[in-house]
Amino acid sequence: MSSFLFLLLTGLAYGMVYFMIAAGLTIILGVMHVFNLAHGSFYLIAAYVAFTLVGKQVNFWLALLAAVLFSIVLGILMEKFLIKRFYGRTLEQVLLTFGLIYIVSDTAKLIWGPTLKNLAVPAILNFSIPLGNISFPAYRLFIVAVGVILAVLLWFFETRTRAGAIIRAGVDDREMVSALGINVGRVFTYVFAFGAGLAALSGVLGAPLTGIYTGLDTEVLVTSLIVLVIGGLGSWKGSLLSALIIGVIQSVGGAWFPSFSMLIIFALMMVILIIRPHGLFGKEVL
Amino acid sequence: MFFGGDIVVKSGIRLKAKAAFALLVVLMLVLTACGGGGGGGSSSSSSSSGGSSDTGGGGAAGASSSEPVGTVKIGVLMPYTGTFAPLTDSLVKGFDLYIEEQGGLLGGRKADVQYLDDEANPQTALRQYRQLVQGSKVDILVGTISSSVEYALRDEVEKDKILLVNPNASASDLSWERKSDYVYRVSYSGWQQGASPARYLAENVGKTAVTLASNYPAGYEIIEAFKTAYEQAGGRVVEQLWPELNTNDFSPQLTQIANIKPDIVFSFLAGSDQFRFTQQYSEFGLKKSIPLTGNNNYADYMFTSTVGEAADGIIAATQYIPWLENDVNRKFVENYRNKYGKLPDMFSEQGYVAAMAIDKAIEKANSTKTEDLIQVMKGLTLDAPRGTIVIDPETHNPIMDFYVTENIWQNGEIITRVIDKIPQYAMPAERPSN
Repeated sequence: MSSFLFLLLTGLAYGMVYFMIAAGLTIILGVMHVFNLAHGSFYLIAAYVAFTLVGKQVNFWLALLAAVLFSIVLGILMEKFLIKRFYGRTLEQVLLTFGLIYIVSDTAKLIWGPTLKNLAVPAILNFSIPLGNISFPAYRLFIVAVGVILAVLLWFFETRTRAGAIIRAGVDDREMVSALGINVGRVFTYVFAFGAGLAALSGVLGAPLTGIYTGLDTEVLVTSLIVLVIGGLGSWKGSLLSALIIGVIQSVGGAWFPSFSMLIIFALMMVILIIRPHGLFGKEVL
Repeated sequence: MFFGGDIVVKSGIRLKAKAAFALLVVLMLVLTACGGGGGGGSSSSSSSSGGSSDTGGGGAAGASSSEPVGTVKIGVLMPYTGTFAPLTDSLVKGFDLYIEEQGGLLGGRKADVQYLDDEANPQTALRQYRQLVQGSKVDILVGTISSSVEYALRDEVEKDKILLVNPNASASDLSWERKSDYVYRVSYSGWQQGASPARYLAENVGKTAVTLASNYPAGYEIIEAFKTAYEQAGGRVVEQLWPELNTNDFSPQLTQIANIKPDIVFSFLAGSDQFRFTQQYSEFGLKKSIPLTGNNNYADYMFTSTVGEAADGIIAATQYIPWLENDVNRKFVENYRNKYGKLPDMFSEQGYVAAMAIDKAIEKANSTKTEDLIQVMKGLTLDAPRGTIVIDPETHNPIMDFYVTENIWQNGEIITRVIDKIPQYAMPAERPSN
């Protein structure tokens, strides 16, 4: 029994990492209808920035903050100078952000080299909790907690704040919101920056679990896309549910059917696409 | 759901959204097919500088003073992009260092080296191969990391009669059924990687083992060699686990290991998988109760310097660690550190030895012609940083000392120390029947 609990906890922890990764992408998609394929690049760059800072004896949490801020600035610049030109032009967005993946990836390789980098778990969380004949690392419980807090904050922001109301209104009828004197363009910039910040948060928190290396950006992107497709495009609640399902299936399913752990995920995706072609929480359109 | 938007949109946008959705799914499959590894196929990072002799002053010793006798053209075909990029990086650094130490000469001839990216993809490799062999007309080829690419190159050099020096690709079959008169390995075979630690582990560490290896050909080969040798030495493999490549979460395997409670775990995992598994093995508290052991990657400096404390206590067998005590290695480590600012790993050494093999072969044959070179490659003896190696005429694979090693965490870094020596370890001349 303890091994089931262990698998469930591990699965939830990975699910939360997947959720944090996918949340930024799905919010940008939901609010702005922008496919930001360079999402994984924000993840990778933030992890590298934190790695460099921690190497210079900067505290882990400060490095996390700095990486998130850096990513937000990068997000703002990217929205203002690139994305803005392509609103409503999906194919161009996909091409643009797909090209950025390569530019960022090769730049990162130039700066940090091709070898895998390790961001150590912060000292305060570097212990394990005994659980039968195996123990559970505190850092993973921390990840679960951060994921829960993030979900609550997103819910609160969306339904209980003025900014959330503006965003919802902007999604429904952009012209009407503009007519009311609200600068929708600026709101979009903020949303994009927020998404980039979330990618950075997950990048730094996820790095101790995955390591940092070239190619991580596309792996992260693929994971996010699977989460998105299962959860429904643009719905962060769908992403939360699907990320947790994927995490748990990988752990528990991997133990029960060791040869099929990858297959299970894609089989799940197929089944969901057949039953609910727009994902768990997806509507008829975006 | 609101972010999802109960949005009323015109049907034109609706159509677009559907198209975009389909596009995303296709894209995802494409990216997955690339193994998720690497930035995909960025273009080759080629340059054609030889070992630039004008930088030779920086501590590189032993430059021969005689005038060069002509030029030798060498094509280096390695995966500069993708999962194997770190290995290529180290390997080419070692290769270049050797040429620089020789003042830009190999076998007394000016070394004209061209580097091309094979992307660890047989098709790309063959395209680049043609450019090197038909376009640039290289005399000697060096490559590569991936065994599937090596097989493809092997068939080509067999036709074109070009010497191919293999600095890493470990498939044992390159020494058995698919051995070629034109291909010589200076690294080690999968068989050596799996079998070398087995006897020590069975006799000194534990009699029951769970094996855990990446689910692909190199994994099967190394585990098969380990299992055979371990059971011959009186051990028993009680379970074999095969996680997929690019696994993030090893908790299914870790719980199985915790439930089986073997004496040891023997592991071979590719790239970042090895890093993640080792960390999780330590974090989930298994390291304290069941010793982790593995192939030479677990003793390698590239791995230990990255993973840090989690690598403490791992027992492995390897042909090279930077702390080996001999004169050639001391000079190699010093020059490497002066040039690149870090210790060499085993791939750096393999690159160094590849250049050394070419140097000595040309010198011994006094020729750059393939027919002459392949005569001297068989039985070629090299004083490598890892010790004296002989290219076995039977297998075209080195006979060399292997070392059983243990990783020790001290003063904030892992030092790998030798605990036993397996002298003049050769692989069998034929696939062991079982």
